[in-house]
Amino acid sequence: MTLELSRLCKAYAQFDFGPVDLTVDDDVLAVLGPSGSGKTTLLSLIAGITGPDSGSIRLGGRELVGFPPEDRHVGVVFQEGALFPHMTVRENIGYAATAGERVDELVTLLELNGLLDRTPPTLSGGEQQRVALARTLATDPDVLLLDEPLSSLDAPIRKRLRDELHGLFESLDIPVLYVTHDQRTATALGDRIAIVRDGALEQVGTPSTVLTRPTNRFVARFTGTENLFDGTVTDRTADETIVRFGDRRFRTTASDPSTSAVTGCIHPSRVEVEAPDGGGDRTPNTVTGTVTRWLNEGSAYRVEIEVDAESLALTANVRPPTFERLELETGSEVRVRVPRESIHLIPERE
Amino acid sequence: MATGRPSNRSGTAAFGFDWLTVALVLGGVLLLYYVVPMVSLFLSVPVGDVLARMSDPAVVDSATTSLLSASISTVVAALFGLPLAYWLARTDGAVTKGVLAIVVLPLVLPPTVGGIVLLTVIGPGSPLGEAAIAAGFPLTRSLAGVILAQTFVASPFVVVTAKAAFESVDRTLEYASRSLGKSRLTTARNVTLPLAGPGILAGVTLAFARAIGEFGATMMVAYYPRTMPVQIWVAFIELGLDNAYPVAILLVLIAAAALLILNTVASNPWE
Repeated sequence: MTLELSRLCKAYAQFDFGPVDLTVDDDVLAVLGPSGSGKTTLLSLIAGITGPDSGSIRLGGRELVGFPPEDRHVGVVFQEGALFPHMTVRENIGYAATAGERVDELVTLLELNGLLDRTPPTLSGGEQQRVALARTLATDPDVLLLDEPLSSLDAPIRKRLRDELHGLFESLDIPVLYVTHDQRTATALGDRIAIVRDGALEQVGTPSTVLTRPTNRFVARFTGTENLFDGTVTDRTADETIVRFGDRRFRTTASDPSTSAVTGCIHPSRVEVEAPDGGGDRTPNTVTGTVTRWLNEGSAYRVEIEVDAESLALTANVRPPTFERLELETGSEVRVRVPRESIHLIPERE
Repeated sequence: MATGRPSNRSGTAAFGFDWLTVALVLGGVLLLYYVVPMVSLFLSVPVGDVLARMSDPAVVDSATTSLLSASISTVVAALFGLPLAYWLARTDGAVTKGVLAIVVLPLVLPPTVGGIVLLTVIGPGSPLGEAAIAAGFPLTRSLAGVILAQTFVASPFVVVTAKAAFESVDRTLEYASRSLGKSRLTTARNVTLPLAGPGILAGVTLAFARAIGEFGATMMVAYYPRTMPVQIWVAFIELGLDNAYPVAILLVLIAAAALLILNTVASNPWE
């Protein structure tokens, strides 16, 4: 089954959605964007809750625009589950089911056996979402849409359910659109990620492409690349590009950009922080700097480093063992190395 | 250490005026003003006397007319009012506001004026009224007239209360039902109506209570057949206060039953 959106547009008083072109085959597309970017509008249009102003939505070659939600075979899992509070779990799933065997199968798959006679208000958030998923899948939909189903859950349950979803999605051979504003969920679950801003798709690609080779500053920032520098390409060789940030030159393997004015992107996790002694600045892509701020973010320390007296400020994610070994604190001198492969260049648009 | 002077709080109470007590007394007086006349009504006539007069044909006829007409009015109000209430609950904008104002109009209009307004359309002098009389189905001085008057006055309760009940049903649940392949009608029957049920029942109960107590508009449109409120008035004018008691007691009991429904199975809109 293939879902194809073409030139899909919807205008609101405060906000214009589209035109959006998008094709999703039998894989998982994580739709990632800030709140108000049009993620939910996208789902509403596909589900038929809202009608588009123009454009088409095809599912397996069948046009959906103009058909009511009940005739689309589009399964939706809503943010809070949207379970019918006056029905038991069994009744909720049974209400949707097209075949009885499918219900038993889903109940086993999603471990709902002990919950069948409970009513939704007595279930935990994670349980509600599992029931909602079972209810939606019981209709045997041709496409599955999920609207931030994990966003209201506590971190441990969210992680567990995310793992479960990952396994479940593997077993489905229908297109899955998973809307989220959480980059980790998007990269964990998506075979591809679509970045949405102001009702338009900014970039669609595999998680590693979107994370390491963003096409613009917004995508870079939204996916966690904090180090963005205005740069100028000064030289090009067969396998290297030399780019200048402030007074510093860096070598990068990034493909030759179309303009000489570029934005350099360096993901904080790719910045290597070392002790200040040895080597010096002569090694390529190595500079010295001073720690100006640091923050313990749990799995890593976020360290801000000012490179000499210049305006070039880098953020690095430092793993706790390294942080402790270097005895870092505000004012520490450090040596910073950026691998050639870790500098990505975005051509500057005028 | 806990030694020391008495706390400051008792000090302020000594020269402050105790407003809390005053407020409680005021509220208490009002409550008594509600309860005392009710009790007094039941005490003013011996029970045996009331029961004896209950079998008076005039009382039985009026009770029959009232129960029948109020039941029909309530059904009519629900039949026509629920779709309108749903539409009002699910639409926003200037048109919705305007329509809601029209719905509320009979609630704020003095009932006698409501009666006059109705007479201009269905009265004997109007084309519609004349046609109805010619067809042998007079719209005034008939059960139909009573029902029309009661529906005019009582149906807004269904619309306004059911609107609030529908609004309390999350739209996402309706979308969920439809995305599960269920039509609008199936969704309304299985999701919206059950969830809005207690609120709708409250509206229907309020409409029934209002219909059975309707006097002003009914007086203008259909003096005959007599409903209970009209019977009370006739008995009071012709025979004196004592003779109005039995029907009045019946109406108080019906009102009490309505309150009971509101506070048990229905969801009380004033809570």
